[in-house]
Amino acid sequence: MAVFASSDELHRIMTDLWTAIKLDPQMSGPLLASRLTVQFHYRDPEGRLTVDCSDGEEMRIFAGECDKKPVVEMFMKSDIAHEFWLGKINVPLALIQGKIVSKGPVNKALTLLPVLKPAYAIYPKIIKDHGLKVSV
Amino acid sequence: MNPFVFQSPTRVMFGEYTTAACGDFVLELGGQRALVVADAFLVQSGVLGPLLESLSSQGLLPPVVFSDVPPDSDIACVDRGAAIAREAGCDCIVAIGGGSVIDTAKVIGICLTLGGELLDYQGLNVIDKKLMPLVVVPTTAGTGSEVSFVAMIKDHKEGKKLMFGSSWLAPDVAILDPSLLLSLPPKLTAATGLDAITHGIEAFVAANTNSVATDALCLEALRLLFDNLPRAFKNGDDMEARSATLVASTMAGIAFSNSGVGVIHALAHSVGAMFSTHHGMTNGVFLPYGMEFNLPQVAPQYARIARYLELEGVAGLDHTAAAELLIKAVRQLLKTLSLPVRLRDLGIESLSEDDYDELACLAASDPAIMFNPRDCNNDDLIDLMKRAY
Repeated sequence: MAVFASSDELHRIMTDLWTAIKLDPQMSGPLLASRLTVQFHYRDPEGRLTVDCSDGEEMRIFAGECDKKPVVEMFMKSDIAHEFWLGKINVPLALIQGKIVSKGPVNKALTLLPVLKPAYAIYPKIIKDHGLKVSV
Repeated sequence: MNPFVFQSPTRVMFGEYTTAACGDFVLELGGQRALVVADAFLVQSGVLGPLLESLSSQGLLPPVVFSDVPPDSDIACVDRGAAIAREAGCDCIVAIGGGSVIDTAKVIGICLTLGGELLDYQGLNVIDKKLMPLVVVPTTAGTGSEVSFVAMIKDHKEGKKLMFGSSWLAPDVAILDPSLLLSLPPKLTAATGLDAITHGIEAFVAANTNSVATDALCLEALRLLFDNLPRAFKNGDDMEARSATLVASTMAGIAFSNSGVGVIHALAHSVGAMFSTHHGMTNGVFLPYGMEFNLPQVAPQYARIARYLELEGVAGLDHTAAAELLIKAVRQLLKTLSLPVRLRDLGIESLSEDDYDELACLAASDPAIMFNPRDCNNDDLIDLMKRAY
């Protein structure tokens, strides 16, 4: 059974998570400096989240369809995203096994990984706030 | 035992003078007219003769040769090759040459099969369908590109390196013909061989991605290379030594395709991007320093390699001492092969603090580094480079 009950639930949780990241200068600083626009494509349930840092000043978060052309796109099952934010996924293994698709310049996508590590501690609280009934 | 997925989609054929079997494979794969991707030197030296003959027999249509492939291939080269293939109606690709030629052929395959903008396929696992049939014949023993799932080419206009990674990029067939390596100069034999050794060592200690299958390939590849690379270097006509290094290089290629490499490759990529140094030689320079950096994390694995290689004096040593013996053996091998042991020996006259910073940033964002068994930050990378300089 999928972790997220619906696309709406997935979008709400991911938006809250990225808003928390945006409010944390330790994470938002390097992301804004990268000026990257990253788009996450989720499946089971379907979802899309775009994080736009292109102007280097404000991180913009869009859930659902978005016209902004991303530099990097990541495709994965929603459950894989959930495990990633719990810090439980072995990213190199997931990439080798094809569980994550990284489209665009791979080096830019990888630069973000260490920056986002502090979010692993935030995510459990966010899913708890949303009443997600899963063990963390 | 950790769960793992192991794949090696490429059919490998080994044998002296087996290049002439290429036509059989093309027929079997449903090809009629092949685009032969090669470097100009191979065409001039007449090496292509048996290959072209085999591709013109059994009712196959005469192949088209594309030999305008530079050592550091780029998008423009891929576009030229794809245009020639389209015009001639080629339905399969045969690559004969080193890593650059094989990578170029792989990317031409993307263009011919999927069409559209090449940049749309950049990344990992983006390509999700079978590409045009590809048969490869490596003429160096080192890159592993004949079995790998990766292709890298440059975008000289944008000053970027483009990476394409997908198991669909693995060639359908790799023909390992050691007779093609007999004329490889000693310096290139040594440098490409060090690339293969680095693949074997890094794949063996890769972080949580290696498996018993990749371990077995790494160990035996390293034994073949340590035993035979000095022989092939000393006497290029030694067919047995050439055979062993060629097969070992392919085995190490299968291993790293399944488990990744590490900090040594990440640093070699970044230094190569900035100073155009030879990839194998640069790996060789960084290999002992990278191993020293990783030693606290992977001493038992290094010790296992040392014991498998039956290095002199390894019996009775603890893990750390055996691992240190392996690093000493790597340094001795570099010396035996007359390879550079310092970055400055690669022609890099000086490195400023800004250079070190830039190189560290490049290495830190290189995909290879995520497989390294020990976390390394920019300070670690700079320290490692300074020791190697």
